Amino acid sequence: MSERDSNTGDAHDVTPYAPGAGTVRVDDSGGGIVGNEFAEVGVAVDHSGNGPRLRLEDYRTGRVRNLDALELETIIWLPEERLTQLLDPSTTRWREEPDR
Amino acid sequence: MTTTVPDSARATSRPDYAALIEPSRVHGSLYTDPRVFADELERIWYRSWVFVGHESEVPESGDYVRKSIGPQDIIMTRGRDGDVHLVFNRCAHRGNLVCEDARGNANAFRCPYHGWTYRNTGELLGYPYNKGYGGKGNLDLSLGRVPRVDSYRGFVFASLAEDGPTLAEHLGAAAGEIDRLARLSPEGRIDLGAGWLQHRTRANWKLLAENETDGYHPQFVHSSIFSVTGSPIGPLYSDNSTAVTRDLGNGHSENDLRPEFRRHGETLRWFGTSESRVPNYVARMREAYGEAAEDILVEGAPHVMIFPNLFIAEIQVFVIQPLSVDECVQHSTAVQLGGAEELNSRMVSQSIGSVGPAGMLLADDTEMYERNQRGLEMRQPEWLDIRRGMHREALDEDGYRTGAATDETGIRGFWTHYRRLMEVDT
Ligand code: FES
Ligand SMILES: [Fe+2]
Repeated sequence: MSERDSNTGDAHDVTPYAPGAGTVRVDDSGGGIVGNEFAEVGVAVDHSGNGPRLRLEDYRTGRVRNLDALELETIIWLPEERLTQLLDPSTTRWREEPDR
Repeated sequence: MTTTVPDSARATSRPDYAALIEPSRVHGSLYTDPRVFADELERIWYRSWVFVGHESEVPESGDYVRKSIGPQDIIMTRGRDGDVHLVFNRCAHRGNLVCEDARGNANAFRCPYHGWTYRNTGELLGYPYNKGYGGKGNLDLSLGRVPRVDSYRGFVFASLAEDGPTLAEHLGAAAGEIDRLARLSPEGRIDLGAGWLQHRTRANWKLLAENETDGYHPQFVHSSIFSVTGSPIGPLYSDNSTAVTRDLGNGHSENDLRPEFRRHGETLRWFGTSESRVPNYVARMREAYGEAAEDILVEGAPHVMIFPNLFIAEIQVFVIQPLSVDECVQHSTAVQLGGAEELNSRMVSQSIGSVGPAGMLLADDTEMYERNQRGLEMRQPEWLDIRRGMHREALDEDGYRTGAATDETGIRGFWTHYRRLMEVDT
């Protein structure tokens, strides 16, 4: 999975991909794949901690990120322009500078 | 308009359309000459209003479907603004196709070649490794946008010309036929989201457009489906029929079957069913339209060819997509009507029976189209005769030229409009 390694980066608060590590208990109500021809992301509500969190997995690289309720609320309130900026590939994944 | 042929060369090599299109005959080369097809793309497909898709195909924000305008690959999207947008499926970087899937949901697209991203309305969002462009946001590029987009009752049309007649002007009387289809829904709502079948056809697109309201061929070409299904449709297309063929102007035409259905006066005869089979539908129609429901249920759905590519065949919609002078794709779907569940499932199964992979109607027509294309490649005689019924045409109360059920009135209307478009200088 060299593709994964080259794209892992060091952004803070991202769970490193570890196949088979831990068990994700998926709540009956949620869980599934949000995918289209551009990206595929596994989505599940993870109850293994003291409280629920959203577990997102990029199926094309295996990279995982967990988001808690406040982080999700923040995304909902993100102004449209800020989200648009994040969709510029050179803002995030494909940039020359190392992560700050 | 961009062209690779110098103006001087083109002027001398253009076919003389006035000499090829006469009131009662048209020249065979119009179906076989690649120069004619190239002219048609510039003068008709990339200029006139062309049907692209229906708003119901992209119901949710972020929905997209791949559509076409002739050989052009077009993406129809529903933006966050709630509007329907049409963009060309071509990356502004080095021209890759941006979308591959026939349909999906995406607020943003990512080109697979070098990863450029776009809003689904066409705006460039960014590109990887921006130093190569001197930083972020330095490129004034976007997906190509279709210059004019408009819709009528959810039917989305496009014109690749910056100006010209409005959609309302182009549709003219044909808009009333779309109304007739919509009023068969108790909610006045048409849905074309059932999915499209595609049939590749080795024939010139005009053979299809002409055939859609040719009331002369059904008794021959479709006799097997009529006899197998016991359909009452066959006799509608005979010399004794009171149905009429109408030139609606602007190249649009219809087979108006209402006189026959009114003569019988039976509700739902047009659909080959009776009230007892679809009781909830009938009740909802009476509730929605009151006394007018009787006429609506007796008169049924339109049979109209909307120039150049939208054919509403009562319960199905066909879209003609030309690819080259002798090849096209026929796209077809079952009409679905808001609030008419009992009708909708029947319309899907009837469509499968007529235009599905083992369907009996479209296969018959397509056999004729492909034979016709081969026949037209023979050198003699050079002309196609389209005079049938000229002597018995009349103007109806609204001023539209009307012929008998089996007359070539619609075909002549097509050619009148076609000639007008083709003679205009670009
Ligand atoms: S061609 Fe699309 S990103 Fe290069
Ligand atoms: Fe390569």
